[in-house]
Amino acid sequence: MKTIHLIKPDFLNLKMDSPLVLASGILGLTASSMARVIRFGAGAVTSKSFNLEWRKGHRNPSIIPFEHGLLNAVGLSNPGVDEMVKEIRLFRQKSEAPIFASIFGRTIEEFAEVAKRAAEARPHLIEVNVSCPNVRSEFGTPFGDSPQDTAQITRLVKKAAGDIPVSVKLGPHGPGIGLMARVCEENGADAITAINTAGPGMLIDIRVRKPVLSNKTGGISGPAILPIAVKSVYEVYENVRIPIIATGGVTHWQDAVQMLLAGATLIGVGTAVYYEGMEVFGKINKGIEGYMRENGFSALKELRGLAHE
Amino acid sequence: MQTFPIQKIIEHGPGVKSFYFPKTFDVRAGQFVNLWLPGVDEKPFSVSAVMGDWIEISVKRYGPFTTALMECREGDYLGLRGPFGRGFTLQNNALLIGGGIGIAPLRLLAQELNVRGLRFVSLLGAATAYEIIFARDFQKQSVCYFTTDDGSMGKKGLVTDDLVDIIAKEKIEYIYAAGPEIMFVKTKELIDPLGLPYEFCMERYMKCGIGICGQCVLDDSGLRLCVEGPVLNRDDLKEVTELGLLHRDASGRRV
Repeated sequence: MKTIHLIKPDFLNLKMDSPLVLASGILGLTASSMARVIRFGAGAVTSKSFNLEWRKGHRNPSIIPFEHGLLNAVGLSNPGVDEMVKEIRLFRQKSEAPIFASIFGRTIEEFAEVAKRAAEARPHLIEVNVSCPNVRSEFGTPFGDSPQDTAQITRLVKKAAGDIPVSVKLGPHGPGIGLMARVCEENGADAITAINTAGPGMLIDIRVRKPVLSNKTGGISGPAILPIAVKSVYEVYENVRIPIIATGGVTHWQDAVQMLLAGATLIGVGTAVYYEGMEVFGKINKGIEGYMRENGFSALKELRGLAHE
Repeated sequence: MQTFPIQKIIEHGPGVKSFYFPKTFDVRAGQFVNLWLPGVDEKPFSVSAVMGDWIEISVKRYGPFTTALMECREGDYLGLRGPFGRGFTLQNNALLIGGGIGIAPLRLLAQELNVRGLRFVSLLGAATAYEIIFARDFQKQSVCYFTTDDGSMGKKGLVTDDLVDIIAKEKIEYIYAAGPEIMFVKTKELIDPLGLPYEFCMERYMKCGIGICGQCVLDDSGLRLCVEGPVLNRDDLKEVTELGLLHRDASGRRV
């Protein structure tokens, strides 16, 4: 992928050729998979969320398409921190692009422990997934719904991560994403990732007369949630000064520009791979660059938050 | 997800059956569909034939899903989505090497080659005679070589035992293979020195089938087996370092 100078982001002093980040949960299980995503034009990648012990996740169907997006309840399947540390290290040998380690815990303490272990692999950022909507029956209400829990997790992870920056991934629901972002910032977060999948939602097969997902409910991603994501990013931008990784429903370059105008520094791309193939990263890069040239912008930061008063 | 009733079931022998569903999309040999058994699981299967308004899926009992599938009856509703992935290219003077239930996708391939008037030879092996499904159909369309572990059909032994001799004798120019991974390793070992081009129809644990979850991505290529595969050619396989060595389970751990 050739470097397009115009779209180099200014995010936590990381060297990136594009503001696009592979979103967590998409193609992020192995180093070879994530390295291939970089070759298609992503500026950075986020690993699949992992915790201390491996998890099988929910049975299939765990990801199903519908007219305007995907419904998924993978259930935080992952090979555990030991395997993921290996994959992150391997990625760092394969690629110069930054890698963000997405972590979660079943308990507040586990978040800190996983962060400490993840830091051994020297990821460029630790993304803290406090907002997965698909493990309620097992974990209870997501920590991201509670300001107190989120504050504590942010503090503990920040301490465990040492000099590695920390972004907290928030969901669109709960007590208000603006407030939650502020709580994260006050407790030391270096960035906010907004948003996780929305919902949860459900789809029922009318012949079998049962929910299609084995977990019955799942998070919604893709074009269906773009307006929720844009609004969430807009709200986070009004509440904090730390940079935002804007994720949710970005499929075309116009969606990415909307995110920048709402206040994003980086833009997460995930489900769009289903609609546009691996080429989606290159396409969005080109589209953003074209928009900037046409409208006389010379750096991404000139666009940031322009939709605000 | 669309659900369809099973139209017909054929039993080839204990634990080996073919299921017929209404055909609602075009599918090429080597491509696969996801079958959803409500309350059980969803798994990928290659299509073994397309006949008029029906598609045929041939299955061998292996784990909990296929065990539950064996209990299904005509009229039961199953989810069916696809077709997914890239199938076989169609070449002349090819050898079809099938191991066990890997014979299934080759049956559709044979159909496609036959329709185009392309010559091929079949080399099919399994544990026992009834596991060489649709042997008579293959015999109608091509010269056939059979092997079984127990000697109940064809020559006793492995499908790869006489591979090099058959290639020479039948003037083979292209290889297709589907079956257990160990068969690919052995086949590759034997045909790489001959310089023949080939395509293998592979399997990995899959979740989404649509190229986003990353579960079936192959080391070191980064290829997604559900999109860039499941049929990989010689060039693709040059980058695949995990062939015969490892695969990943539902958690993503190497096993």
